Amino acid sequence: MKAPQSSPKPTEEIRIGVYVCHCGLNIAGSVDCEEVAKFAATLPHVALSKDNRYTCSDPGQELIKNDIKEHKLNRVVVASCSPRLHEPTFRRACEEAGLNKYLFEMANIREHCSWVHLYEKEKATEKAKDLVRMAVAKAALLQPQEELVVPVTRKALVIGGGVAGIQAALDLADTGYKVYLVEKEPSIGGRMAQIDKTFPTMDCSICILAPKMSDAGRHPNIELLTNSEVTEVSGYIGNFKVKVLKKPRYVTKECTGCGDCASVCPVVAPNEFDVGLATRHAIYIPFAQAVPSTYTIDRNLCLNESFLVCDKCMNACERHAINFDMLPETLELDVGTIIVATGADVFDPTSLISYGYTKFPNVITSLEFERLINAGGPSGGHLIRPSDMQIPKTVAFIQCVGSRSAKSGRFYCSNVCCMNTIKDALLIKEHWPETEIYVFYVDIRAYGKGFEELYKRAKEEGVTFIRGLPAEIIEDRRSNDLVLIGENTLRGDLYEVGVGMVILSIGIEPQQGSEVIQRLLTLSRTSDGFFMEAHPKLRPVDTPTGGVFLAGCAESPKDIKDSVTQASAAASRASILMAQGKVTVEALTPIVDAESCRVCGLCARVCPYNAIVVDKELKKTEVIEAACAGCGTCGAECPFDTITMRHFTDDQIFAQIDAATEQDADKKIVAFCCNWCSYAGADFAGVSRMQYPTNVRIIRTMCSGRVSPKFVERAFSRGAAAVLVAGCHLGDCHYIKANYQTQRRVEKLWKKMDRLGLDKNRLQLAWISAAEGERFASKIKEMQSIVDSVGKEEIEKSKTLSKEAE
Amino acid sequence: MPLRIWREPLDMDKTKVRRAEIRIIKERCRGCGFCIEFCPKDVLEVSREPNEKGAYPPKVVDETRCAFCSFCQTVCPDVAIMTIEKKL
Repeated sequence: MKAPQSSPKPTEEIRIGVYVCHCGLNIAGSVDCEEVAKFAATLPHVALSKDNRYTCSDPGQELIKNDIKEHKLNRVVVASCSPRLHEPTFRRACEEAGLNKYLFEMANIREHCSWVHLYEKEKATEKAKDLVRMAVAKAALLQPQEELVVPVTRKALVIGGGVAGIQAALDLADTGYKVYLVEKEPSIGGRMAQIDKTFPTMDCSICILAPKMSDAGRHPNIELLTNSEVTEVSGYIGNFKVKVLKKPRYVTKECTGCGDCASVCPVVAPNEFDVGLATRHAIYIPFAQAVPSTYTIDRNLCLNESFLVCDKCMNACERHAINFDMLPETLELDVGTIIVATGADVFDPTSLISYGYTKFPNVITSLEFERLINAGGPSGGHLIRPSDMQIPKTVAFIQCVGSRSAKSGRFYCSNVCCMNTIKDALLIKEHWPETEIYVFYVDIRAYGKGFEELYKRAKEEGVTFIRGLPAEIIEDRRSNDLVLIGENTLRGDLYEVGVGMVILSIGIEPQQGSEVIQRLLTLSRTSDGFFMEAHPKLRPVDTPTGGVFLAGCAESPKDIKDSVTQASAAASRASILMAQGKVTVEALTPIVDAESCRVCGLCARVCPYNAIVVDKELKKTEVIEAACAGCGTCGAECPFDTITMRHFTDDQIFAQIDAATEQDADKKIVAFCCNWCSYAGADFAGVSRMQYPTNVRIIRTMCSGRVSPKFVERAFSRGAAAVLVAGCHLGDCHYIKANYQTQRRVEKLWKKMDRLGLDKNRLQLAWISAAEGERFASKIKEMQSIVDSVGKEEIEKSKTLSKEAE
Repeated sequence: MPLRIWREPLDMDKTKVRRAEIRIIKERCRGCGFCIEFCPKDVLEVSREPNEKGAYPPKVVDETRCAFCSFCQTVCPDVAIMTIEKKL
């Protein structure tokens, strides 16, 4: 399936069509699109140039298709939004008109231009012209490519066995696909199993969850892997190889769950499931409805180490289900799709000293409340004060503890706490109607179906809502009663409210260990730490990594209904892939020219995927296309220009650099940004309308590892004032570790610049993630001062010296 | 952050925790130290006073730590240590 390198026929005239999109006023508001189109018409090989209101609309696409046929266009350039958004749309249009989709190129004049230079129309227009010039220069050198079709394994992996993971696994299994459901705890169920009632319908949480849990446990298509963690993921969309570490339970499937073992176990410890409010033994089942209902031995607590000290449980077990010789197992799974449903943790309010959590016994968290009010919980459903086991007569809820506040460092809204508190207040009213309840809030967000009604009901039942969080809680040493002091911001006066118990409505935060999953699957996370979706509106459950989807609180804080909805969506997205049974991989792989290759093996050494096989005896270097992900670090490494990176060739990138530096090079920054993080980060700066100087020209490569030192040298020899090389953070690279090569090459370049007497500040290296738009914008602002400081002499020196170096 | 577990469980007084009373017959001990070495809760240590045999018998450091597994009794070759249930 090698690409035909020579077509279109060498003699064929190159005819480029350029379309400059207004995007309503999104682009036209700060860029003179008509002028850009007129300018494009003057560029070499441009056969026609047009501007229109919405190029992505049906008429816009029809126009391109007709022009391709009518004007015999063999290259198309659209200057509009980010290729990360609409490249697939326009590529499809080209294909429909019979043009190979690799003959299409985009100029990003929205996210990288109009949106970030809202008030500088003239300069923005000049930049847009440059971006079009760069795209046209690249387009002239584009070659048609053929894509590799790979099969999709019809099996899925679901990471996390909370309600989202369970729902996704059940949907996939019911569709007929084999599912591995991996859960790190001994039982599936997650947070929902800990909650007493759900809002707004007041359903018993475990009563509606337990049937789903046992469905998942019994389903012939679901293999439940509890006490297990994903340790390694390799491969690509449709063909992932996953390693799962299955820790031993020390109890076999013979276990009937009778509990005879636990009753004789001499070790007693707090039960994590009950937030430590109840006890368990070293051999235990986290809760009555656990699935699987097999007991587990916590070897951190069990008296037995390498030899048996205590055999009480073994003696008690009639079915001989206890086996201390069980060993950890590593399972190797082949799956086609992966759903990440790793859930969330809760905020630990201990750090907010003024609320006295862990200092005052009667200050509890909302999660502790759930266990207390639960009939199956440690207090049998009685809301008791931990200090004296009495039912409190007055109760206060404090909202936004660990949400929406600079003090806790959590700026986002946790989404569920308002309704959870209203539900909790009603539960107290239901059991003990005389209880006085105060809710201290910032805003009450009752936005969902049936939420407002529940809020109204709480007010009708006499719950007092006071706007303004307490500044401090003071405890009466003798009675352990609490006094809340703060300002009522609606009335503008101070309050002092005495209560018997305070419930901190704690926020949701990213699951600890998210960074491991992030690294294994090369995902991105927002600044809050939750996983980032491929597109916030249109691809909300996809991730930037093909074949990997998101569900539940792993993506952002959400309630049960939203988690279930998202889980079904993720399952359906995964099913589409698996139903098709095959997927095309972008034709971005390298081609090694057998004649000029000297079989030095440098390319193989830097390949993160071991996709290059060097045979020194046969003098052959071969690329395993299915294993290659297309980062291009081999192409950057090859000292003999033997490797051609398809669609990101040296010539194409040189053409972009040359076009970017054609005018006023000495005032410009040439930026090389990796597709996944830095380019996306620059897009994010655009979406967020962060303003930065207009003098940066971004060249997209798939990975920063593609950036060959000669690209940087070319930019300097063309007189560019500064060069930015930007990639994913080290450790977050979408090509495992290709960005370490970037670092090495840039460091080498710095040394060289030093040696040549050049100001090495002019070459900057930055790690910018897809969520760090602010970082991108401030980097460019910071580099502006470097550009300003570079004198004519310095530019001339780098022009000649870099040329000599070449 | 994962949940902070810091309170004494509310059902601690209702949970049946069997407490042991450790009895050491000092004069039988030959000082092999097995009981000390194998105790999973480190309840025992070597005492400073030798017995008539010249051996250093074990001494209880903290009886409340004892989980009542009775392994000391099992490993003692001299039947010099035993655990019996403490009546609370």
